[in-house]
Amino acid sequence: MRIREVVIAVSVALVVLLLAYVIEAGGLGPIAPRELRELAASYLVNAYNPWNVTQSALSLEAVTAIVWDYRGLDTFFETSVLFASIVGVSLVFRGYRERLGIGGRGLSEIVKTSTRVLLPLILIAGVSVALHGHLTPGGGFQGGSFIAVLLVLMSIVFSLDFVVERGLTSGRLLALRSVGLIGVLATSVALLAAGLALGVEAYIFQNVAREGSELSMPQWLLDRPTGGTLIFFNMFEALAVAAGLALAFLVLSLREEEVREALGVGEWYE
Amino acid sequence: MSDPVPFLFTVVLLSLVANIGISLYGVFTRPSLVKKFISLTIFSDTLNSFAIAIGFRRVIGSYPSAAVLSSLPREPGELSAFASAAVDPLPQALVLTAIVIGLAVFMFLAGLIAMYYRHYGTTRMV
Repeated sequence: MRIREVVIAVSVALVVLLLAYVIEAGGLGPIAPRELRELAASYLVNAYNPWNVTQSALSLEAVTAIVWDYRGLDTFFETSVLFASIVGVSLVFRGYRERLGIGGRGLSEIVKTSTRVLLPLILIAGVSVALHGHLTPGGGFQGGSFIAVLLVLMSIVFSLDFVVERGLTSGRLLALRSVGLIGVLATSVALLAAGLALGVEAYIFQNVAREGSELSMPQWLLDRPTGGTLIFFNMFEALAVAAGLALAFLVLSLREEEVREALGVGEWYE
Repeated sequence: MSDPVPFLFTVVLLSLVANIGISLYGVFTRPSLVKKFISLTIFSDTLNSFAIAIGFRRVIGSYPSAAVLSSLPREPGELSAFASAAVDPLPQALVLTAIVIGLAVFMFLAGLIAMYYRHYGTTRMV
């Protein structure tokens, strides 16, 4: 055992040293370059470019433009991976059902009162981060994570029974999660469906007018740019991520009585 | 002492490299699955920080700006001025994707480890 540990420690040290030499010798390129790569410059110029709409995403934030427009398909499958992982967690904990009347009753009255003040603020912050994803740093995933904190905070401060009594059961959260994913899917083919109905050309993941297709999502909401499909993508992604993370937390924080039931189901299958 | 910026950059990058070494050591040698899991999350976070650092740039005479337009541009010249001062948005977008997928994988791993503990009463591998 001793020798093995020494060998591992020496090889880790060697990896660190070699990587350090590679950086020092400029093997990873100059540290903090002054010029951008061409691809990055093109993204920055075209993210919001009303003078060149066919190559633009009309989003003031370049990261959201890349995530949901230029690389939209990528992000759709990323959301699907998150969904598959939640399905996997539910599968590992198969047979799990929330049961009331076991476990603690939450923290003290002082914490509960201050949390009651805090909860709507967190909700508003999350929704605003999600809906302003194309205007300010942030987006659907970040906003959804904000909102998922609500359930974590509620289940710790008020107890899990409180959460379940308010109707946030794992089945409903899974349904909300699916609604979010279906919303993302529907938004991605919305203009294609409109094009098929009107008999004109359109593309999957089309946002605004593209070459050969004049169809476009609404670009302005009152006096604010909506980024076409981006606001819908961010909205549905926030819903999906919030419900998914809340569901994962609910299932992972299950209690002994519920586990025994779940394990019993597992043994029954064997 | 010459220009402090490259020196500070080297320090940051080297500490990220050291972090990779430490987290890999944790993954390989700790017997507890929970500790392996924590090391793996540190490893993934370090790699994401690396990718963000690669997208960073230096702007002479001022600071680089985030890849967000703070007001609606009125003429095309504003866009090229923005592109000459903003950082690379592509690594940020890729890291966002990587974080979500990492979260999905870690969530599943956490569920598996919790179930492992329920079945065997321990999280030690050996």
